[in-house]
Amino acid sequence: MTATSLTPKRGPRLRVNRLVLYTVLVAITGLFLGPFGWLVVSGLKTPAELAASPVHWLPDHVQWHNIADAFNLIDFLGYARNSLIIALIYATLVTLSSAWVGFGFARLEAPGRKTLFGILLGSMMLPQMITLLPTYLIFAKLGMVDTYWPWVLWGLSSAPYLVFLFRQFFAGLPRELEEAAIVDGCGYAAIFWRIFLPQSWPVLSASFVIAFTWTWGDYIAPQLLLSTDRTTLAVAVMSTYVTSAGTPVTNLQAAASVMYVVPILLIFLVAQRGFVAGMSTTGLK
Amino acid sequence: MTVDQMTSVTDRRGAAPAAAPTASRPRTSIATRRHRAFYMFASPWIIGFVLLTIAPMAYALWLSFTTFDGISPNWHYVGFGNYRELFSDAQTWQSLGRTGLFAVTSVPLSIIAGLGLAVLVNRPLKARGLFRTLLYLPAVVPPVGAGIAFKQLFDQNSGAANGVLNLFGIDALGWLADPYARYVLIMTVLWTAGNIMIISLAGLQDIPRELLEAARIDGASAWRSFRSITVPLLSPVLLFQTVTGVIASVQTIMPLLLAPDPTPAGITALPQSNYLYMMHVFAEYFAFGRYGYASALLWVLFVLILVATGLIFKATSGVVFYNVDPEAKK
Repeated sequence: MTATSLTPKRGPRLRVNRLVLYTVLVAITGLFLGPFGWLVVSGLKTPAELAASPVHWLPDHVQWHNIADAFNLIDFLGYARNSLIIALIYATLVTLSSAWVGFGFARLEAPGRKTLFGILLGSMMLPQMITLLPTYLIFAKLGMVDTYWPWVLWGLSSAPYLVFLFRQFFAGLPRELEEAAIVDGCGYAAIFWRIFLPQSWPVLSASFVIAFTWTWGDYIAPQLLLSTDRTTLAVAVMSTYVTSAGTPVTNLQAAASVMYVVPILLIFLVAQRGFVAGMSTTGLK
Repeated sequence: MTVDQMTSVTDRRGAAPAAAPTASRPRTSIATRRHRAFYMFASPWIIGFVLLTIAPMAYALWLSFTTFDGISPNWHYVGFGNYRELFSDAQTWQSLGRTGLFAVTSVPLSIIAGLGLAVLVNRPLKARGLFRTLLYLPAVVPPVGAGIAFKQLFDQNSGAANGVLNLFGIDALGWLADPYARYVLIMTVLWTAGNIMIISLAGLQDIPRELLEAARIDGASAWRSFRSITVPLLSPVLLFQTVTGVIASVQTIMPLLLAPDPTPAGITALPQSNYLYMMHVFAEYFAFGRYGYASALLWVLFVLILVATGLIFKATSGVVFYNVDPEAKK
């Protein structure tokens, strides 16, 4: 009785609710994809179409050659190589050093460990832009401007966020793992290297991806530390798409920035699971 | 040989007076080995933190009491001179006010947006994973890509935003200039609300289903159970988002990336409404090379952030409900 009277009443209402829900979601998703979609469209227009007012919505003829032109107007591949080298150096070093430090915080005890861990967590909240500016002055003094040494040093000194990620992972592994090795007389470095590190592939790859995207996306450190030739793609895309007279070439800049962003989107889509898992672990705990 | 062994044992005992005298040799040595090993493992971070965080901050503190500009050889100590100048400079107060306004609007808005999206995509939907991925995607776009995309979108002549306004017969707006630039800046933050969505989603999934079901059986409306169950249980996540959001908005470089000339030298041409405190620091640092004065500005900001973070934690200490998060109790 109740069931029959409920079905006709709730059925259509639920369906309408669902319809509204899907419409809202599709609209919001469209809004979120809009800016990037517009960037792609802008990158395929002629300069005249891009300068037209009122707006010229779609290119009359899709200007595919903009992609080739964007490669040629500046040394796109050269800058991409610089970005790649810096990102690989930093991501490799910081992943290994953070795993190393994370192991210490997870599996070893010593007086002062709790205090240090508190400082580590607190340092995650330090505004990096504030420390970057005086660090730049120090690097300049040490003659490290226009070299990749800053990224080596940053990589070797580990990143609190990633240390935390590794600590959480290592702390969850069973105790027996190192006990057998200790009885066998293995040192802690060997235990870390031979037993713990091979276990942590998911975190290693997540950490590598996160660190790689940070470096690829960073604008201000390479802007300050590197000269126009040695700088990264982020800086080049932002500021070198100009004619010899200094007028910005916005359609090629748009095309170039799409090519600059797409690798990161692809990496994210491939590594999505680990990426999101890492995000939510550190976000919550 | 035996004597050697014995002395080494006593040495170890002497080095670790906390150990009970009856402790057998292997236990003591394992404990000290562990202590040493911990510091060996922690050393990259400790050394890095001292050299690349504490030292630069200390250096900036020292510079903030000088007239150092990187060029002039006869720079000198001026005591609190820079700080006096800073507090009597209208630019400081105005840019600080704009930064505060930006944080106070963009942080709550993006948290509401992120939480709303999380609730939406937490429902049993078809293609739920796809929606989550697509909504999160903008948060992965590097700031430079976001800056260029928003510059195109809000271009006065050829931007889609003015194109849409035009469809409704509204005149084109100068989005990237005063006074609208501040809204574009907030929109760049909202665009990355997927970040907060993902983190809130993890929190939403940790909420025990029975709790929500019990509330529904008791006749609670969806809104009521959201307000009385979901939000309190998510409060640690929301607090974390608030703190990191405020810190991120204080140091954002997005105003620079939206500017016509996005190099440090172009900062002086920023629209007034996006001339945030951090941009003021950049201008003093790079456009004018006043390292001493800019360092004083940095230190003031640093202290303000510490105070703001402390205030947020204090104001929420009675409200935030730590239950889902056993780590936080320690």
